[in-house]
Amino acid sequence: MTVSFMEGNEAIARGAIAAGCSFFAGYPITPATTIFASMLKLLPPKGGICVQGEDEIASMGYCMGAAMAGRKVLTATSGPGISLYSEQISFAIGSEIPMVIADVQRLGPSTGSATRGADSDIQFLRWGNTGGVPVIVLSPKDAEDCYLLTVHAFNYAEKYRCPVFVASNKEIGMTRESVDLDAIALPDLIKRTPYKGDNFIPFEAPENSAPPFLPIGCDTLVRQTSSTHGPDGYITIDPDTIAQVQQRLKDKILANEEELTLYEEKIRPDADTLVICYGVTSRAANQACDILAEQGKPVSTLTLKTLWPVPEKLIKEKAKDYKNIIMLEMNLGQYVGEIKKALPQKEVRFYGQMNRVLITPKTIMEVIENE
Amino acid sequence: MTKNAYDFKDYIRPRFFPHIWCAGCGHGIVLGSLLRAVHELELDKNEIVMTSGIGCSSRISGYVDFHSLHSIHGRAMTFATGVKLSKPKLKVMVPMGDGDALAIGGNHFIHAARRNIDLTAIVMNNKIYGMTGGQFSPLSGQGIKATTAPYLTIDNEFDVVELAKSAGASFVARSTTFHAVEATKLLKKAIMHKGFSVVEILSQCPTYYGRRNKLGDAVQMMEWYKTNTVKIGSKKLEKNPSLIQRGIFVEKKDAPEYCEEYNKIITAAMKGRG
Ligand SMILES: Cc1ncc(C[n+]2csc(CCOP(=O)(O)OP(=O)(O)O)c2C)c(N)n1
Ligand code: SF4
Repeated sequence: MTVSFMEGNEAIARGAIAAGCSFFAGYPITPATTIFASMLKLLPPKGGICVQGEDEIASMGYCMGAAMAGRKVLTATSGPGISLYSEQISFAIGSEIPMVIADVQRLGPSTGSATRGADSDIQFLRWGNTGGVPVIVLSPKDAEDCYLLTVHAFNYAEKYRCPVFVASNKEIGMTRESVDLDAIALPDLIKRTPYKGDNFIPFEAPENSAPPFLPIGCDTLVRQTSSTHGPDGYITIDPDTIAQVQQRLKDKILANEEELTLYEEKIRPDADTLVICYGVTSRAANQACDILAEQGKPVSTLTLKTLWPVPEKLIKEKAKDYKNIIMLEMNLGQYVGEIKKALPQKEVRFYGQMNRVLITPKTIMEVIENE
Repeated sequence: MTKNAYDFKDYIRPRFFPHIWCAGCGHGIVLGSLLRAVHELELDKNEIVMTSGIGCSSRISGYVDFHSLHSIHGRAMTFATGVKLSKPKLKVMVPMGDGDALAIGGNHFIHAARRNIDLTAIVMNNKIYGMTGGQFSPLSGQGIKATTAPYLTIDNEFDVVELAKSAGASFVARSTTFHAVEATKLLKKAIMHKGFSVVEILSQCPTYYGRRNKLGDAVQMMEWYKTNTVKIGSKKLEKNPSLIQRGIFVEKKDAPEYCEEYNKIITAAMKGRG
């Protein structure tokens, strides 16, 4: 056992390395900069590349170029940078370019508060691409999660050939805590496996899946375009072909909801209230519920680690036996609508806070007891 | 000496033809010059990566039978940088329109030049935004009629050569579509140059720039390139110092190249001297 004292940002960097990442490009921004700093320590000694772009747009471009050349890539930023990434995010989605993007959220809008956390970008991450194509967003609650979810993120990026977001938060990213990375059971790594057949059709894929990958620069010529293209990678105007490609981009994420569902729960047998939350807020929620349990008032918690695609089946299943559902968020209600959509028969109460401070266990106890 | 006689069909993707360019557009001539350069250099098609942005000019990457990355407006240089850093052995070419390279992409252009990363930037300069319908560009200069300048432009233009030079490009050259053979020679040098190379090729857009500014048809526009440009160091230039110069302006063979420098960092870091 090797316990170290590290912040969530370093854990993300270590997760990336564990997943086989060999390229990082970024532009300094609090509270994400220490991911960059950690990658600088970790990558070059392993022969990897870690560079600073002239801005976020450039950094994303480098990452995408490197991803297409066959590398597993990571970039990291916060709200203002995510905004600048968005056109490339659309390109990465449309052209099925695998990559992992860590968004260490700060309190927005705009420059907002660089050193104050909030889960500011939950809807922006989902809808920040033109085309409205579904994306994968994972939400860590602590440094251990930062490590583990980053490895999952790389796996999903490979399997589904898409950008995958790790929606961290300043409060996790820049707070040091004790973690034993070696004790964390990681999923099997999905390697970048180049296509082996003779007839490479760059965007031909079975239903609900991503196409096989061939990097730019090997024997077979690879072409990519940000324009609407068919399975053969050529620009197309054929409505049927376009419809099929759009449908597949959507299905490859949504049809795999269950496989993409990561969560944690603390079920208390006699509880009639379920608290649903994600991110750093879930730590306070669990503490609040522990105290309430000691007082003889059992309350269960469900912590979502996958926010997008919405783990609807999980939410329905876990919520079905509860009378009261309470949703907590470190914003003014970006995700509660998804919960309400999943649970149309239930009344979902909401507490949100976006004022530069963490939601405390005390506040959560009050919210629960006001039931 | 080249293996076979030049046949452009060996280097294009017929599936993409007919091309989208208007009759008389200079961009096709640039494509021709470039394919000849690749042929004469005897490069393998799979050691070339072409990344481009969006614009009439950027469509060039769809027509060539190389690895190609038709990306987004103004950002081609950034994708090229990622590819090159990842696989430094590849020859990476970045053809761009003047708007693509120097308006929206201006920042990436100067920073790539500053780093002296081994990419070949080809600025297909028609002084106008062709694809979006004839708006002025940072290379239009003053007194030009454009869709977005009905009262004539008042903006000053960049001089691509001066900009590239001062930003740190280690190879800088200029030619025109009238001088297609010369353009091939310059492109060959640029492709083989180790470091950031820029070749500006003046390329006519008869449809917007030509018609709006009453410059005649494509042939007349190309004749203008003939009469208004001159080789660096020529007698003609001495007599007409105000003409636009063509040729090689900078060729620094030993300027440190970015990927090589980065490799040194990796080597040091791997030895624990990071
Ligand atoms: C972010 C973004 N802004 C604007 C556009 C629209 N757009 C497409 S091409 C272009 C300019 C083309 O001009 P230029 O780069 O000079 O190339 P040309 O068409 O003249 O060859 C513009 C503004 C776009 N595609 N993306
Ligand atoms: S609009 Fe101009 S630049 Fe575009 S294809 Fe036509 S002539 Fe060429």
